[in-house]
Amino acid sequence: MKKIDLHIHTVPGISDGEFVFCLDAFKRYVSETGLDAVAVTNHNIFDAAQFRTIKETLGITVFPGMEVDLERGHLLIISDGSNLEDFESRASLVSQKITKIGDVISVEEMEKIFGDLKSYLIIPHYDKEPSIPGQTIEKIKPYISAGEVDSTKKFIRAIKDDAKLTPVLFSDIRISNDLTDLPTRQTFVDCGDLTLDAIKSCLRDKAKVTLSEKDGNKLWQIFPDGQKLSTGLNILLGERSTGKTYTLNKISSTVGNVKYIKQFSLVQQDEEAYEREFKNDIQRKRSNFVDEYLSGLKNVLDSIMSIDLVVNNRQIEEYLFTLLKSAEDTDRRDAFSKTALFDEVEFPVGQTQTLCELIGSVRQVIENIEYKEIIEKHLVPESLKRLICELIKLLWDKALENKKKKLVNEVVKDIKQHLNLRTSAIQVKDVDLYKVSMDIKRVERFTEIINFLKREAVVFEESIQGFRVEAKKEPFAGPGEIKEVSHVKTAFSDAFKKYEDPYKYLRALLSNESLTRSELYKLFVKIGYRILNKDGFEVSGGERSEFRLVQEIMDAQNYDVLLIDEPESSFDNLFLKSDVNQILKEISESMPVVVVTHNSTVGASVGANYLLFANKGQQDGKVVYRIFSGYPTDKNLFSADGKSISSHGIVMDSLEAGIDAYDSRRQGYEAIKH
Amino acid sequence: MKLLSIENNLGLYLGETGQYKPVDKITKEDLLRLVNLTLREDVEFDVYDENAIKNQAHQIVYKSVFEKLRGLKDRKKEFVDESERLYLKEYERYREDSSKKKV
Repeated sequence: MKKIDLHIHTVPGISDGEFVFCLDAFKRYVSETGLDAVAVTNHNIFDAAQFRTIKETLGITVFPGMEVDLERGHLLIISDGSNLEDFESRASLVSQKITKIGDVISVEEMEKIFGDLKSYLIIPHYDKEPSIPGQTIEKIKPYISAGEVDSTKKFIRAIKDDAKLTPVLFSDIRISNDLTDLPTRQTFVDCGDLTLDAIKSCLRDKAKVTLSEKDGNKLWQIFPDGQKLSTGLNILLGERSTGKTYTLNKISSTVGNVKYIKQFSLVQQDEEAYEREFKNDIQRKRSNFVDEYLSGLKNVLDSIMSIDLVVNNRQIEEYLFTLLKSAEDTDRRDAFSKTALFDEVEFPVGQTQTLCELIGSVRQVIENIEYKEIIEKHLVPESLKRLICELIKLLWDKALENKKKKLVNEVVKDIKQHLNLRTSAIQVKDVDLYKVSMDIKRVERFTEIINFLKREAVVFEESIQGFRVEAKKEPFAGPGEIKEVSHVKTAFSDAFKKYEDPYKYLRALLSNESLTRSELYKLFVKIGYRILNKDGFEVSGGERSEFRLVQEIMDAQNYDVLLIDEPESSFDNLFLKSDVNQILKEISESMPVVVVTHNSTVGASVGANYLLFANKGQQDGKVVYRIFSGYPTDKNLFSADGKSISSHGIVMDSLEAGIDAYDSRRQGYEAIKH
Repeated sequence: MKLLSIENNLGLYLGETGQYKPVDKITKEDLLRLVNLTLREDVEFDVYDENAIKNQAHQIVYKSVFEKLRGLKDRKKEFVDESERLYLKEYERYREDSSKKKV
């Protein structure tokens, strides 16, 4: 197996930060990481003189190359170096085209500059930013040997997926004079001679490309000293103060994009604050649901808000009073009150809403594409079109008629007002009984709706790993609850007295000027959230932490590595065994996971892929921290500097408090059992 | 066609039978008929003149009806157009489509 890193920077480009190249640092990087081949790939620049010096100094295979800004992404183009002058002159054409940030070249330009792209090793940024867009990848697919990724997780994902390019993980390092931590992102290829053609042919075969020299893709190197981790589930054991948390922190800073669930982070001391935060969190994530659920009520409220039953009643009373009075006064009529229009009532103006809706529906039937076939099986499109035309014409007629009536009504009203000023006779006050009765119906229906809404019921349910999040509607229990939902500093005690009568309650809310009308729909029914455990009871404090842990672990999908420090610090064994272990196992199928634990439930039952043991020892009178590691079935674990330790002893000491304790506990259990 | 007329110090309107009637007898149905006539026909009115009408009740009714109908006459096209603009695009498109296929 050969270790290669074909993405290295030695000259700062226009989009790089400044750095000073250091040849010694390059030598150190190559020798300490044991690289067999490297490529120099600067951004749109190829410095031939520097390349020659590097090649002579390093003493390993060094390929000349370049990282090109190609159509919104980056791409490595690497030459076999047999004709350096030729590569240099072609590369200089790229440099001429890309002189400032934002400049790019197209695939066609690249083909024109480099000629036959098949003679190069072409590696686009694949699952790494800025990545080459899918369409461009398709265009250059015949020339591509592999795709660059930027994490172990993405490497594993690509290697397992037949539809994806062979992944390669390279350092993308800047070889500068202040280089301290050496990167561990390199790739192994199973090839004999390190020629460019041999590497290309290896890269086209996924079986020949791995993350580690001897362990295939099961392990990957995490630290420069050679320390490896499993690409699956790692368990890190060790006594207190042996550097376990330190190790997690180091992994975190090495990898960068990690999900790190720290010890006790899911348990909080202030139970009340925690519960509030927890509920808010749940509520925020699901507030869209509430809005959608109550959107119907919002429409109802819009029309109910304009109804004033008190005014309507007054109008009826006035009508009756004036009618009776005018009947009494018939003999006292003068020229003004004798005109026909004096007691004229206005024309009722019909609504065209239903007709408009009908036209809209017919239009939907005509214009629907998804179900066109079924519609046309039953209905002839031409008749539908004739229908809609007829309806529209009818609408025009109605609209015109209404307009005329409105105009007449205006005249009638105007004349009546003027006549009334000049007479002592009582004018009969008009009332629109149709509207008054309709308003009463509307309010009745509104009351029914709100009363339905107030009935306790679960309106939303979601299952998450054995827990159930449920949204429940119920009536508000007091003004305080309404205030909390309204987010407005105002008193609701008067309004709440009328809460039993939805219409009166609405009027009370409307009379409060500090409330926004468009938000009133939230103040009729309480929607509360509960998290229930498997048995259907509301979760306890501990179970809430469990729920959080499950959510956090699920969230890890968006990161490159998941680190968990002592999950047992907050959870009981049953939960750890049944749920956490299962989720950890599942998630470790797709990304590296490192769990620090003292707990035998996690440590021994989870089925780890790799065991690490942090140890604090003495050497030559000095404290030395070491990590021993190996597969769980290995008899001994080894440290990076070649020391070994017995696996059995470690497991007993770390998880069972030593062999003696384990034996006595086992005997105790046996005794209980019998 | 004259819809409103002033004769013998009285305000008159054109009744259903073609006879002029005093404006104090006008009802809302009469008004609607006058509106229709204004929109459909070429109509005219005697201009309101306070001195030409003696009866004060007639003055009130005649003045208001006259002003409204004259306003309507001036904006007659706009008045009809406004209602026919509803769904006009759809109407024209589908009318064309359905008549095309029908042939």
